[in-house]
Amino acid sequence: MKKNYILLFSLVISLSLLIFSCTDNDDEEQYIPVSPVVVDLTQVPYPKLSDYKFFEGDMKNQTPALNVLPYEPASSLFTDYAHKKRFVWMPIGTKASYNGDGNVLDLPVGSVLIKTFYYDNVQNVTPVGATRIIETRIMIRKTSGWIFAEYVWNAEQTEAFLDLDGSFTEISWLEDGIPKSTNYRIPNEVQCIICHKSEEMVNGSEVIKHIPIGIKPQNLNFNYNYNGVTKNQLTKWIEQGYLNNNFSLPTAENTTVNYNDASKSVELRARSYVDINCAHCHQNERHCDYRPMRYAFSETANNLTNMGVCVNTQDMQDFSPSLSKIVSPANINRSMMYHRLNTENEAIRMPLHGRTIIHTEGINLIKDWINSLQPCP
Amino acid sequence: MKKLLLLILFMTGFISWSQSTCATAVPVTAGNTVVVSINGTQIPAPLCAAENGGGATFGKWYTYTPTINTTVTITTDITANTPRVDTRLHVYTGTCNTLTCYSGDDDSGANYSSIATFNVTAGTTYYIGWDNRWTSNGFTFQIIENSQTPTPSSPINYTTQSISTINSDYNICVVDMDGDHKDDIVGVNNNNLKVHYQTATPGTFSITNFPLTGVTYLPTWSLAAGDYNKDGYNDIVLGSGSGLSILRSNNTGTAYTGITPGQYIFCQRTNFADLNDDGNLDIFSCHDIAPNVYYLNDNAANLTYYQTSVTPGAMNLGASGGNYATLFTDFDNDGDSDVFISKCSGPPCELIRNDGNGVYTNISATAQVNVTPIQTWSSAIADFDNDGDMDIIITASAGTHRFFRNELNTSNSVEEAYTNITAGSGWDTNTSTNIDNIAYDFDNDGRVDVLGAGGKIMFNQGNNVFAPINYPGISVGAVGDLNNDGFLDIQNGTTIKYAIPNGNNWVKVTLDGIQSNKNGIGARIEIYGAWGKQIRDIRSGEGFKYMSSLNAHFGIGTATAITQIIIKWPSGIVDTIDNPTINSVVNVVEGSTLAVGEFATNGFSIYPVPAKDILNIKIVDGISMKSAQIYDLTGRMVLESNLTNDSINVSSLTIGNYILLMKDDNGKAYSQKFIKE
Repeated sequence: MKKNYILLFSLVISLSLLIFSCTDNDDEEQYIPVSPVVVDLTQVPYPKLSDYKFFEGDMKNQTPALNVLPYEPASSLFTDYAHKKRFVWMPIGTKASYNGDGNVLDLPVGSVLIKTFYYDNVQNVTPVGATRIIETRIMIRKTSGWIFAEYVWNAEQTEAFLDLDGSFTEISWLEDGIPKSTNYRIPNEVQCIICHKSEEMVNGSEVIKHIPIGIKPQNLNFNYNYNGVTKNQLTKWIEQGYLNNNFSLPTAENTTVNYNDASKSVELRARSYVDINCAHCHQNERHCDYRPMRYAFSETANNLTNMGVCVNTQDMQDFSPSLSKIVSPANINRSMMYHRLNTENEAIRMPLHGRTIIHTEGINLIKDWINSLQPCP
Repeated sequence: MKKLLLLILFMTGFISWSQSTCATAVPVTAGNTVVVSINGTQIPAPLCAAENGGGATFGKWYTYTPTINTTVTITTDITANTPRVDTRLHVYTGTCNTLTCYSGDDDSGANYSSIATFNVTAGTTYYIGWDNRWTSNGFTFQIIENSQTPTPSSPINYTTQSISTINSDYNICVVDMDGDHKDDIVGVNNNNLKVHYQTATPGTFSITNFPLTGVTYLPTWSLAAGDYNKDGYNDIVLGSGSGLSILRSNNTGTAYTGITPGQYIFCQRTNFADLNDDGNLDIFSCHDIAPNVYYLNDNAANLTYYQTSVTPGAMNLGASGGNYATLFTDFDNDGDSDVFISKCSGPPCELIRNDGNGVYTNISATAQVNVTPIQTWSSAIADFDNDGDMDIIITASAGTHRFFRNELNTSNSVEEAYTNITAGSGWDTNTSTNIDNIAYDFDNDGRVDVLGAGGKIMFNQGNNVFAPINYPGISVGAVGDLNNDGFLDIQNGTTIKYAIPNGNNWVKVTLDGIQSNKNGIGARIEIYGAWGKQIRDIRSGEGFKYMSSLNAHFGIGTATAITQIIIKWPSGIVDTIDNPTINSVVNVVEGSTLAVGEFATNGFSIYPVPAKDILNIKIVDGISMKSAQIYDLTGRMVLESNLTNDSINVSSLTIGNYILLMKDDNGKAYSQKFIKE
């Protein structure tokens, strides 16, 4: 009887959670609402996405359950125009710690990062114009480190199943009214690792650690709309009990911007763009640290060399000699960076993974940025 | 006063107008000339500095007529241009109606300024045309006479043929496709295989298109060739960023089927190699982001997927990611192919020794080739000092090159360390870097050279010293002898660079495996003569991306005789050819030079000798033979038998020598030569 009462109460609480304060409780007993999320570290990854109980109601609506907190980075990685919904969940009583504005928050064991990839206005589904969720990627923090789980949604959009082998799926959609299509890549586990890793040589052998990318204070330091309540995401995480309150919010200089925000400077937008799209490989101890670019936002302030400006291209095989600089000021035709962002050729394109079609808005931003640069000394 | 002003105005106008076309070009002499802007109506054509294509809309013209025979430099890389201007220069001889490119440059100077150096003849008029491909802004150019010593003469020169029908999406393979041992040109689309077969007329190819189905992945990263189903026609493996596809010949070379096994692989270098020494070619692929993978051939060309350190029982062929190129060759002269893996993303390169029976051991640390930091996408590997073992130049894709000499001493059981001999080798001062680096004797002087970065061949001078010669317009491509003249040619897209024979002598060895794989991939070929010894291994997959000839090319310089050619087959069979004709193609069928009964790896004996109608076979106890095939001494299979009653009816064969190949229940091969009378 009491059990049912708690259940009923939980339901009421969760429906009204974001409107009423949960601590305002005038019953004689104190009820702490319980998150339905189940993450048994000895059993994950589960075979089905629904097994985690991250979502309430119809799973395709992606309505987060209690303590499943939505978040968003200021700039997001371009993945063939897929839309994304991101959530974080941590076990009760645990919290993340701050480790620098430009470094990933250190999340406690048991934490989960959830990212769902979907398209609106899809043309090759019934009914035409519907939303299609393709995949939900999950990272789970175990004692041994982060693991990856990949859930591929069924055609009915009722469930997603664990599949780390990778696959392709054709999708066509309208992007601002313009028809686009791609053979969308759902990644294999080793593809997850390329970007989500740090690597260092210890006593002559390579030690690889899996890491998240987006959850850096520099990326979260802006207001997010939590069902009508607008709040700085870092502040929200602290209030939620998800983050230690032992740091100051990043300064404006240390905060990335939305690269689509035309009110910001081209330089800031370009730096934010390469940070989220390129820096996971092009910085020290990352997949492609053997190239000279250092695209992390914290390394590109007043540092055009780290942005590749006037820096020689290293491998010129099969490229036009005109591309001998990574970035040639005011000349996109002589900039290898522009050339590699502006192609669908698999052996040339950048990034190598996650993109198969050209990001028109991104390439226009990079063009504006290159055209704004002063000649090489 | 007024008149003078008018005159000046008139002249200024005249001058700016007069440089507008070739016909109105202004004569200039040594020294500086100011170009106010590029605004003339005649755009220089043809393009002499063409690497960045068309797109210019205006030109500016001058003539220069030297009074002495000399070398001149025309440059915009001078302090008068501060900052430098992005110029492009074309230099012609002939007349304005028949302009012939003589020199030119786009970007050799700082910040894309131009520098062209060329020899001139007194009294000849050279037309200097500037265009606005990059900018119309003005600049100053300087003509310097006799400023440079003439460029050193090249040990080999090239002519260019452009073949517009080489127009597949991927044109990165030169290999024999019809079994005549002459290199052909292979192009691949997702629905079509296009072969330019070499004909008897040099520079003329006959084209066949083979429709394809089942090709999911295209060779965005690499392509390799080998006859893995042993039907006499090469098959192709296509390596993409998502997996690989195979083009498998039917038994007559008249059709190809696309096969896509389906495993996710971020392919880099792909190879055909007999990994477990069973006589069947297996398919190997470097994995960029995970341990290496391979498909084992079961003797019937059925393929089974393995991944090192992942699949139970997999061979140890590179357990970490970041594998860019594998090169299979015999480093310790023990008759089987070892592996060198070029790496780039942190871990050092790996030298992996084949210990037989599918056992591979990483000996990089012992061999001391595991230097870090290292950045290479492919390494140049050959016997550069002709001392009988394979040396390694870890040719950098960024950073510095490392040259390691193999110190192999087979008189002991010690694994010797390689010696770093980079200093003073010419590789220490070579700052050009490249993805693809390939080792061939391009000038047939008897020493193996390296083609790598930026239109430069590093010519082997002997004593492990290399010197660069620049070849504008040459870069790494697919290499083979495309006009059958014994000199190696380079195919890059529609362009073929044919080496012009320089008088050096040569020999080309082509193989037909019987007990070993068909191509003889993994075979060691030795030639002996006045120079001592030279060696080659047959490899499928040199460098990073391209597939080059499976024939062995040797230059012998001015030597006029080869005393002996020895072929050490992967099967262990050794063929010997004494005093072959120089400047010829020597085809060797495995075992064809052996006497009856001379075969080392026998599991059976045959009688009578010679045989007439029935060939009787006595099989060694404990071996169960499954199949028998009879080959003639051109390597053609002439009879196949399921082997009943331990005998084969050979009455249908014409009189002559044949090789009988038998395979046991495990697919292990045995062969014997016999005489049919």
